[in-house]
Amino acid sequence: MSADPLLVCENLSFSYLDKFPALDDVSLEVRSGERLALLGANGCGKSTLLKVLDGLVFPGTGRYFAFGQEITEDALEDEQMNEAFRGRVGFVFQNSDAQVFSPNVAEEIAFGPLQLGLSREETTQRVTDVLAMLGISGLADRTPFQLSGGQKKKVAIASVLAMNPEVLLFDEPTAALDPRTQMWLIELMAQLAEAGKTIVHATHDLDALDRIADRCLVFGEDHRIAGVGTPSQILASRDLLLEVNLVHEHTPLPSPRARSLPHGHLEGL
Amino acid sequence: MTTPAWLLEREAGLCPCGCIGKRRKGSFVEKTLNGSAGLLRQVMFSDDLAHRPGLLQRIDPRAKVIGFLALLVAVSFVHSPWMLLACYLATLVLAGISGLPVVFFIKRVWLFIPIFTGIVVLPATLSLVTPGEVVLTLWHWNGHAQGFTAQGLRAAALLILRVAGSVSLVVLLTLTTPWARLLAGLRGLGVPKMFILVIGMAYRYLFHLLTSVMDMYEARKARTIGKQAHDRTARRFVAATAGALIGKSHYLAEEVHQAMTARGFRGDSKVLKSFRFGTVEVAWFAGVAVAAALALGGDSLLVR
Repeated sequence: MSADPLLVCENLSFSYLDKFPALDDVSLEVRSGERLALLGANGCGKSTLLKVLDGLVFPGTGRYFAFGQEITEDALEDEQMNEAFRGRVGFVFQNSDAQVFSPNVAEEIAFGPLQLGLSREETTQRVTDVLAMLGISGLADRTPFQLSGGQKKKVAIASVLAMNPEVLLFDEPTAALDPRTQMWLIELMAQLAEAGKTIVHATHDLDALDRIADRCLVFGEDHRIAGVGTPSQILASRDLLLEVNLVHEHTPLPSPRARSLPHGHLEGL
Repeated sequence: MTTPAWLLEREAGLCPCGCIGKRRKGSFVEKTLNGSAGLLRQVMFSDDLAHRPGLLQRIDPRAKVIGFLALLVAVSFVHSPWMLLACYLATLVLAGISGLPVVFFIKRVWLFIPIFTGIVVLPATLSLVTPGEVVLTLWHWNGHAQGFTAQGLRAAALLILRVAGSVSLVVLLTLTTPWARLLAGLRGLGVPKMFILVIGMAYRYLFHLLTSVMDMYEARKARTIGKQAHDRTARRFVAATAGALIGKSHYLAEEVHQAMTARGFRGDSKVLKSFRFGTVEVAWFAGVAVAAALALGGDSLLVR
């Protein structure tokens, strides 16, 4: 992992309708090749932060820099800047139904590359490759309403991967997925990190934390950052997790032994 | 957290004497929603049909749209009921060759005709509207027999057969072309891409919202005991459902737009599929020309 910060947020604050605060004085850095987990209770601002990082909403106060450039609504109006930014940052939404909007899976995956100006031939090749990589080649001609929740999530991920972004943002990727698909997704994220992708994801999944994150950022219910640390440090801070309402006082936290088990070997738990 | 005492008590279940309650038929809302669920299943089935290997499925969607449009025009110029019947039978043959279940195809076509055409043409079969030779007397007026006239029945048969032929052609096109390819085909014919994008998304999210409505209704049904009222409460439920759905649609629309923006959308949509005309399409156009010529030529011989 290099020390270069790819994404930098300085004192970000954001409110919906200028009434309902979602982020309050949030500062952070995301370094190249890093896997950063955003932890926090529901409604603490994780999804809003991801949308700010993807340039979909813009902070009321504070500044956001990506790849050395300040990202503002005005800056993204510039065609070249927009294309460069969108091509380098990919966002997998929590609600796959919102992300899978094309009439069929192949068109869905091709949407991003075509928007970025890739030729039809190159896009077709990327669609074929990504479908094969995620093991969903058989879904190419399916319509979205013929897909299960897990399949829609795979298609949503494929549609982002086809753009080959440098930074991947995942909003609660394992939410509402069956255990098998959850494990598949965790392994995919590990594989993408090994391939050098920078990953920022919002999650509640403490069990898989040390497999999918190098560093964690804990949000409080006051929409501020309440703590930063490695997964082991955060999981060892029960008081912090209780304070931000992420765990219940009776919630057993994952033990170091369970967390250190290799992929697919959970018999010992 | 303290559990209220009533939550710890068991509610009375079935009557211990074994008596059975009154049965009631489903409400209009329930029937409508069941119909919607049926439609969803039918659309999924139709999409599978469109992917089957068959004659029409192999043809470029643009060629198919142009060909069927030409056939529709030809059918609209035919005046002989026998020729119209022949055209209709030809669509059945085409359906069979394309691997469509013929009974399903017939049902699909004739489902709408009695409702939309039959009611419209019914008055025209009576001597009050179409004077002529009364073939079935229904009543007498001033000593004259009144009822169905031969001229009226002929005109009705002509209209119904023409509608059946035309609807069959449209159903053949939609059943043998996946929705995505049909849209891409229209795009290839010069329909503005923004229009195509909007139709495609409307179609996609129609089913999503339909599922939401069904979920809401089932959630209500699961908590409704006894007779479902068809009064102010029911109207309130429908109004509340519509309101909730508008809110959901608005939120979803915003998220979809963000998802599109995140992948580089700036108001100009591009599609992957490109089509090329080949031998199959040339053969299709030749077939369409021959069929149209036969229909019009045969018609002119029959009506002479």
